[in-house]
Amino acid sequence: MAPRVVVVSLASDFGCQVQMTNIEDDLLDVLGLIDLSYWQLASSGHMPAEYDVAIVEGAVTTEEHVELLKRIRSVADVVMVIGACAVTGGIPAMAGEGDLEQRFAYVYGTDGANVARGRISPGPVKRIIGVDYEVPGCPIDTAEFLRVLSHALQGLANRLPQEPLCAICKTKENVCLFDKGQICLGMFTRTGCGARCVSLGRPCTGCRGLAADANVESAMKILAEKGYDIDEVTERLAVFNTREEVFSR
Amino acid sequence: MFFRVMDTSRLPDLVRGLSRDHEVIGPVAKEERFVFAAIDDPADLRLDYDTTLLPPKKLFFPPEDQMMRFRVADNEVLDDEVFAAPRVLLGLHPCDINALLLMDNIFLKDYVDPYYKARRDTTLVVGISCVPTEDCFCNSLGTDEAHWGFDIFLTDLGDRYFVSVRSVKGAELLDDFVETREITDADTAAFQRVTRERKDKFTQDVDTSQLPLLLDAKFDSPVWDELGERCLSCGACSMVCPTCYCFNVRDDLAPDQKTGTRTRLWDSCQFSEFAAVAHGQNFRESRASRVKYRYYHKQWGYLSKFERVLCVGCGRCSTACAADITPREVIAALAKGGVE
Repeated sequence: MAPRVVVVSLASDFGCQVQMTNIEDDLLDVLGLIDLSYWQLASSGHMPAEYDVAIVEGAVTTEEHVELLKRIRSVADVVMVIGACAVTGGIPAMAGEGDLEQRFAYVYGTDGANVARGRISPGPVKRIIGVDYEVPGCPIDTAEFLRVLSHALQGLANRLPQEPLCAICKTKENVCLFDKGQICLGMFTRTGCGARCVSLGRPCTGCRGLAADANVESAMKILAEKGYDIDEVTERLAVFNTREEVFSR
Repeated sequence: MFFRVMDTSRLPDLVRGLSRDHEVIGPVAKEERFVFAAIDDPADLRLDYDTTLLPPKKLFFPPEDQMMRFRVADNEVLDDEVFAAPRVLLGLHPCDINALLLMDNIFLKDYVDPYYKARRDTTLVVGISCVPTEDCFCNSLGTDEAHWGFDIFLTDLGDRYFVSVRSVKGAELLDDFVETREITDADTAAFQRVTRERKDKFTQDVDTSQLPLLLDAKFDSPVWDELGERCLSCGACSMVCPTCYCFNVRDDLAPDQKTGTRTRLWDSCQFSEFAAVAHGQNFRESRASRVKYRYYHKQWGYLSKFERVLCVGCGRCSTACAADITPREVIAALAKGGVE
């Protein structure tokens, strides 16, 4: 029996689910392997009570999300999170930790308390439940999504690369943006995107999150020595990583 | 080996001639740096380049190389042949020529690598003399001259090239495509002068004479911890190195899960997973141990087997390292007992 798959959305712009629809050439092959029971973006059906694989997009921003995730974890054999919001907290997590209420009032005004009830500090799915497979990035890369999905369906281990972006960037023969005086987050950021942005002449924004191998302390010291503004580097890192993650490193 | 002289104005004739039956690959500008790329127009060729971002190893051992396809149901190999078209690599500096000879020891000796061999067999090498950059230290490693590993070598004498011809194939190509003349005493004198002047331009002098002894004696030196704290574990040094040959192998299934591809990708000993094995053990978990391993392998391990160090002093790792960890500094720090 084909594994029953649900695609669930938390707080995000659905960009990664749109990326899933962009796998046009291979989508029919993928759909042939699974029983797609629920996909909010693509149909108006209801989420079934039972399923095998849950693909989750988006950051956790409300108590409702927390309850949903706990239910998903108790039902699904496999939980796969896709996109920066779900994997690292992404853009929603910029709303911060302690100062969430202050920021909320700034955006919605003092009588905006009813806009989003049960709100909590936004964060990644792994903060609430255990995660089996991750596809990082903003948005996800379709080839990587297919590879990770294939691993999930075959029951293979989740093998995300641990090292920063610089190595693959060197293989693309990009002129290092540091040599041009630009702040590039490549030395902090998990590889796997093929250094796509830098190859197009734009610095890495760190959308795949901090690399496990990254030497954040040394990188900060080196950047400071070279005259870069460390506060700005930290701010940029906090776009796709939670602040607690950046400061814990 | 024999020698000829060729006017520099004849170079486009040579490139066009070689292009008739070969893909010609040479240094071209990329922004303010250089890369090896296919030469469509002889005017794109930049034989005055300093060094390239990636060394020529990429042409024999590509960063990402599909080795075969396979069928999942019965594990049948579907296609694993290597297609290698005839080509000429035009404009290699002595360090890069020597680096390929060091790579040959790995890929063509104990275990012949069919992917590397096919490309090596169909590629002719034309060398070009160079001017040392501030990061070059080939002079300290005896790799500042190429004695083997090329078909033709051009030494720039200003208005003419002093042409060293090493192979029959090289002699034939030269004979077929470009007008050359016999060398005179004046040409030989000019060659000697240019060679001497180049030697004087090296700014680095790395003392490698005691290196094996030094490495054995300094295995527990705090220098490695200091370097480990600085190292970004980014692997840039390995990627740009003309003699780093480690690779990872990855299998990917097609979307229908019926067939798959096996790909090899450049790896680096600086990555935490490089020495990780089953059961979560890792032989080189700390950054310090990984930095140390790189130096022990290159400057001692390879030496003990092939009587050469696995480094040609091209300086690419020094240029690429954001943490400014350079072989010169590492060797000096070991000799002294501390990082400056």
